[in-house]
Amino acid sequence: MTRAVAVVGVGQTEHAARRADVSIAGLVREAVQRALDDAGLELADIDAIVIGKAPDMLEGIAQPEQYLAGAVGAHLKPLLRVHTAGSVGASTAITGMTHVASGQYERVLAIAFEKQSEGNAMWALSPNMPFTAPLVAGAGGFFAPYCRAYITKTGAPPHIGPMIAVNARENAARNPYAHLRDPMTMDDVMASPMLWDPIRYLETCPSSDGAIAMVLAGEEQARKGPRRPAWIKGAASYAEAMWIPGRDQVSPAAGRRCAKHVYDQAGITNPWKEVQAVEMYVPFSWFEAMWLENLGFCEVGEGWKAIDRGAQRFGAHLPVNPSGGVMCTNPIGASGMLRLGEAALQVMGRAGAHQVDGVRNAVGHAYGGGAQYFAMWVVSTDR
Amino acid sequence: MTTLRDVAIVGYTQLPVVARDEHRTAIEMLYPVVCEALGQVGVDRDGIDYQVSASTDYMDGRPFGFVQALDVMGSWPPRQDLHLEMDGSFAAYYAWLKIQTGEVDTAIVCGHGKTSEGSPEHVFNLQLDPFYQAPLGLGPITTAALQASAYLARTGIGDDDLAAIVARNRAAGASNPDNQVREQTSVEALQQSPWAARPLRRSYLPPVGESATCLVLAAEEKAGDLCDHPVWIQGVDHRSELQTLGARDLTRAAGAKLAAQNAYAMAGIAGPRDVRFAELLATTPVEELIVCDALGIDPARSDVVVNPSGGPLCAHPIMSTGLVRLGEVFRQLSGHAAERTVDGATRAIAHGAQGHCLQQNVVWVLGTDRRAA
Repeated sequence: MTRAVAVVGVGQTEHAARRADVSIAGLVREAVQRALDDAGLELADIDAIVIGKAPDMLEGIAQPEQYLAGAVGAHLKPLLRVHTAGSVGASTAITGMTHVASGQYERVLAIAFEKQSEGNAMWALSPNMPFTAPLVAGAGGFFAPYCRAYITKTGAPPHIGPMIAVNARENAARNPYAHLRDPMTMDDVMASPMLWDPIRYLETCPSSDGAIAMVLAGEEQARKGPRRPAWIKGAASYAEAMWIPGRDQVSPAAGRRCAKHVYDQAGITNPWKEVQAVEMYVPFSWFEAMWLENLGFCEVGEGWKAIDRGAQRFGAHLPVNPSGGVMCTNPIGASGMLRLGEAALQVMGRAGAHQVDGVRNAVGHAYGGGAQYFAMWVVSTDR
Repeated sequence: MTTLRDVAIVGYTQLPVVARDEHRTAIEMLYPVVCEALGQVGVDRDGIDYQVSASTDYMDGRPFGFVQALDVMGSWPPRQDLHLEMDGSFAAYYAWLKIQTGEVDTAIVCGHGKTSEGSPEHVFNLQLDPFYQAPLGLGPITTAALQASAYLARTGIGDDDLAAIVARNRAAGASNPDNQVREQTSVEALQQSPWAARPLRRSYLPPVGESATCLVLAAEEKAGDLCDHPVWIQGVDHRSELQTLGARDLTRAAGAKLAAQNAYAMAGIAGPRDVRFAELLATTPVEELIVCDALGIDPARSDVVVNPSGGPLCAHPIMSTGLVRLGEVFRQLSGHAAERTVDGATRAIAHGAQGHCLQQNVVWVLGTDRRAA
């Protein structure tokens, strides 16, 4: 990376199925104000703004950043809108980072949101593609075969998915911002309806309203801010084509390449040993096992075993999604930035009750499309 | 501000703009354009470090319309990538910014969309504030008409002036084979056209069409390797305004003005008197006047040729229209503008915009020489 960039402020909203107390603009402004307060800055200090969200059909407003320009203080400032499907929150944060890394901007506000109660997510996520039979099964119907393929390939036993779901809920109980925080048991999960085999109702993410914003800044600002900054040591976004014969959808090449890129930048050779907390994009339980392998934390076929041992639980070797993750909070467009923001909070030492002890390096990750878009970063306590 | 890397446009292709391509999807339209652009610079896809695409889901009539573009942009093996839900001229800005980090040296920027499968007037109603403005039924034509009314009231110009601007664009555009409308026309004929929304006649509005575009950018020495006549980015900036129509002076483009000032400063030029022509994303004759004013171009003095390509009034492939402006400047300054060549041009302005009444603007200064250090 040519120029040091740090996260100097993070702000997120309380997440819920329906935030009826605020408009979309009010929701976004809530996150923006919290991020600015966190960084000890005002809107006037911000040089440029990047907004990300998932498909505009989710709220029914086309390019809503134009309508939101006033709410986020974009008047007479550069404003870009990113959309890379489910990975968008993460790629938006990285786009903000690029602004600072380019040397053209000092303090950049990156914002991601989704207010899913404004529309119907199942409808919005069921594209009717030309010459393709309409599935109308939402993201769960799309990704269930990927999970089934993982089980078939690795011989993972059926209780792994439910274990992941239960652990996510345990973690979310420590996160006051999380949408779903009620504890649940293995029996609860196993008894919940099978939606898309092998994914049960309690193994899916919720549909949430929520937003997150962060301030990215150069070294000078990072040194004088009120908080310990989270230094970005590596970051990248990769994408791969859909229709490639033999494409590995269980462990996509784009994910492996993205992970290698950021570890190389960060000087990490053994992520399992050198990373102390991971926030990864797990919308359906099984993906936690799949991404542990795809991101290089475990060998192929070993991800589910790490989970079976409980090595990814809070307080264990490598806590995964200590915030509760996407399984407990999913405003789609914001979910990726929540992962990167939570990773930053871990190295800033400010994750509250879900703070992992002794974090030096944390990974934030998101994916999108048909497991084609990957965006991730490594943040560190050290410059 | 740190040292800038010199970045050039080294390749550009587009499909001729048509009202409707009956036989191809947006992605099928994009594929040959990407292939041809790579052919121009003589590399395969592995020779390009980065890619950015520009499109909008609502115009595509489906979520994730851009995902399929990955396949035709050569995204195998996986590529470093970003998609902006913006006009391609903003995607080009981000590619330029990415190159400034030093992490990548080359990028392709693709604009795509199939406007014939929807109604822009209805789709872009949905851009507006959902509580106070969208329910009024406003669309791009009616908001442009409000802007035009305000402008006519402020300046005292009239219908004859607007028709003359359209006629000039149409005359210039007749020799551009990529234009959707290539017939010259007279002021009188234009004024026979019925009102779309007063004071804008149907003939004063752009023909909405579809195309696909691909621009290739390269930094420093790479530019010379890929192209005999690179066109250098000397200055660029972009700015947004509020959307709220009632809170803005619609007769002026404050964002375009600030972006232009910053772009001129980066380029080290005093203003438009140092350029020979300008390609502007103005979708009505009134917008052309407003953008000229913001950029400091005085149409009466005519020392800067405005839209020698014919401009958006001859072809408006939504999501690519701004990228076409950059492409036209590249063609002009690299000697590929054929009959429409502006003689003696070594520097020009390209302007992109999106949103109602010029809400978001990007201004580029481009030239045959590198930026003055």
